[in-house]
Amino acid sequence: MSEQAAASPEGAAALNRRALGRRLSELANADATRVLALDAAAPGVQPTAARIGLTGSPGAGKSTLGGRLAVHRSQQHRLGLLAIDPSSPLTGGAILGDRIRMDEVQGIERLYVRSLASRTASDGLAPNIAELLFAMEAAGFDELMLETVGVGQVEHAVRHQVDTLVLVLVPGAGDYVQAMKAGMMEVADIFVVNKADLAGAAQLATEVQSVLQAFPPPNGGWLPPVLRTSASDADSIAQLSQAIDRHQDWLRQRGDGAARQLQRRRHRLHSLLERQLSQMAQALDAADLELPLAQQVRLVVDRLRAVADG
Amino acid sequence: MTTQELAPAAKVTEHPLRGKRILVAKPGLDGHDIGAKIVALALRNAGAEVIYTGLRKSAQHIVRVAVDEGADAVGLSILSGSHCELVGQVMERLREAGAGDIKVFVGGTIPEADHAQLRERGVRGIYTSDMPLEQVVRDLAKALN
Repeated sequence: MSEQAAASPEGAAALNRRALGRRLSELANADATRVLALDAAAPGVQPTAARIGLTGSPGAGKSTLGGRLAVHRSQQHRLGLLAIDPSSPLTGGAILGDRIRMDEVQGIERLYVRSLASRTASDGLAPNIAELLFAMEAAGFDELMLETVGVGQVEHAVRHQVDTLVLVLVPGAGDYVQAMKAGMMEVADIFVVNKADLAGAAQLATEVQSVLQAFPPPNGGWLPPVLRTSASDADSIAQLSQAIDRHQDWLRQRGDGAARQLQRRRHRLHSLLERQLSQMAQALDAADLELPLAQQVRLVVDRLRAVADG
Repeated sequence: MTTQELAPAAKVTEHPLRGKRILVAKPGLDGHDIGAKIVALALRNAGAEVIYTGLRKSAQHIVRVAVDEGADAVGLSILSGSHCELVGQVMERLREAGAGDIKVFVGGTIPEADHAQLRERGVRGIYTSDMPLEQVVRDLAKALN
């Protein structure tokens, strides 16, 4: 499938959407053992797609903005968008509603939108997100967008999986202060004040700008732009898209792609281990938990070794 | 907390649709989707990951979403009376997209007289609005597991 998609001049026109749809379902459902088996069967995927992350608090307008941005950028790119919504911790179920805000993406062959549920992940992403992104790259997309669940203060994980991270803020939500607390100011490459027609948008943009100038983020000389967007204003979407292009150009000139690949691999391992360890801790029974802590750790490590050995 | 108080919580730990991806879709022109939304919530509470299309979607749109989302099932909510035509369009486009194995269910105002015809076209289940939600969930779980 990937060869087909890559070899075709039309690219996404030859994309086997059914096969990709199933592949992503399989990966989303894969437990650690299955992930290891799949990786052993097809190791060394060479990532080629540019990756853009969209994050921000719930209700900031990420999905609508992401949809518009995806449509705009699909003029230049074969683009895949992964949008994550929260799962209910009680039932495991989820209403995946991001794409209801993206109706305009539907008729575009070069665009592929996939909704994901956060399931057990508590980092704003979804389990096996690294595998899912690899699968999208293998399917021949040259640009990927990743929209996190609405995040609060602790979910920086998306930083590890994308090249360009856009933080979406809205006036009046107080989320700018939250973002400052969380250190989101240090991790974003582009700041967007969305719903720019609302009162307070200009002031919020000015404040963010001032803080950025006073405390430039430690990211090697890139001064994050602060943009005002409104989903109904096509020009503002085009400006955001241009800012993303500028950041991508800057990254290419900087030439630290290898370091970012390493970071992604580290995050991939970290999330796999975190999920597996959490399951194993859950599986310990009352008697196990009465043991000295070192023995509890040993129990878990032994089980983890069994997973690695297949 | 007494054991009596815990009992209802124990009941909801049964999630027969966990891990299933179900598209709830509104084809055609009727403008009422409270039924579809309630069914979507019932499916979520049964553990399913539910994608909802919103109102007035074409068969082409619904099939594109079902395929891209890797759906296990599509539930079509139809109140307009044109269920036979709309179901036919969706089934045909699913087959064209190589996705004839995605199971199709229909809910809404569907007269008894049309059930046989819909089943002939490949519909796996028909849920009229008087049917209890528990029964819909049970039936779907049986069809998908």
